[in-house]
Amino acid sequence: MEGKIIVVTSGKGGVGKTTATSSIGAALALEGNRVAIVDMDIGLRNLDVVMGLENRIVFNIVDVVQDRCKIEQAAIRDRRIENLFLIPASQSDNKDVLTTAGIERIAKQLRSKFDYIIMDSPAGIERGFENSVVSADEALVICTPDVSAVRDADRVIGLLYARSLSPKLIVNRIEPARVMRGEMLSHEDVLEVLSIDLVGLVPMDEKVLISSNTGTPLVLQTDSKAGAAFRQIARRLNGEADLPIEMPVYKTSMWQKISKTFGLKQ
Amino acid sequence: MLSGLFKRFTTKKNSKDAAKKRLQFSLIYDKLEVNDTTLTDLQQDIVDVISKYFEIDKDSLELKVKRDENVSALVFNTPILHVKRKQV
Ligand SMILES: Nc1ncnc2c1ncn2[C@@H]1O[C@H](COP(=O)(O)OP(=O)(O)OP(=O)(O)O)[C@@H](O)[C@H]1O
Ligand SMILES: [Mg+2]
Repeated sequence: MEGKIIVVTSGKGGVGKTTATSSIGAALALEGNRVAIVDMDIGLRNLDVVMGLENRIVFNIVDVVQDRCKIEQAAIRDRRIENLFLIPASQSDNKDVLTTAGIERIAKQLRSKFDYIIMDSPAGIERGFENSVVSADEALVICTPDVSAVRDADRVIGLLYARSLSPKLIVNRIEPARVMRGEMLSHEDVLEVLSIDLVGLVPMDEKVLISSNTGTPLVLQTDSKAGAAFRQIARRLNGEADLPIEMPVYKTSMWQKISKTFGLKQ
Repeated sequence: MLSGLFKRFTTKKNSKDAAKKRLQFSLIYDKLEVNDTTLTDLQQDIVDVISKYFEIDKDSLELKVKRDENVSALVFNTPILHVKRKQV
């Protein structure tokens, strides 16, 4: 059976594309799929360090597109998670070396070798974005609950629809306590503004930085709330579309506890 | 009750409500922005259609998108030189 290419994109930079790509890719592999994660951020590669595979790079995606090596030679096998592979970006090339025609050429081969191919798009809506979406079968849009990320997400959603892709949304870095205080847009607010389908809610989690510090997969950390959220997202993508979406939990404040003790209605 | 009272003292107006309102407005506004190529193409098409019926002054016509707070309008302004005779 042919594999599926999923692009992870956002418009705005730094909202969690790379974190989401590596985590969802790892989680899909843990579900028993053969997964390739592709770093499309040419000239600014990051997925390799986040995944702790930076010492094992020989070839990269540009080498594959330009026929200097086979996909198998560029795909680095993760030693901790079976069936998980990384195809790194090139660090030295100019970001315009890749063309959409080049990507379309290798997309067919990728689909024949893997169940899921997750493309980590660079920030922006220029060439790198075009290359990342050109062969995509599905799209995930990441945004954080702030005005600029939501506005950029809206722009990207429009561009994806124009390419006949119906993106699904992930809201990342949710801080329940601040949502409760009315300082942060809730995911309901974001959804109302963007009106697209939601595929997952990921809380702000200190474990994200720690896992990227050490290059260990977030989804293997049992005590990571973000890791758990990404595993759920992977299951939803992998056929369990109806798996309920868990709301990030609000920590009970002292006042709520007190009013509870006194039996007061909120 | 207690927490409601506490909330009233500490938070003035929710800043997220402002964020949401501003977003809803700007997303609509963003989509009304028409780029130059679209406008030039549109102008050409309109001129072609109108020229079937009227002889117009192509140098003094103007096509604009006018926007203010709640409405957006497409304004096409052209002097008519002649009415063409309908060909049967
Ligand atoms: N849920 C989260 N909780 C805490 N920190 C997070 C979370 N998601 C992402 N981060 C942190 O935010 C930063 C940016 O994340 P990431 O690199 O994944 O974003 P990106 O969208 O890929 O950025 P770029 O546009 O530069 O490629 C990183 O330091 C990452 O550790
Ligand atoms: Mg990134």
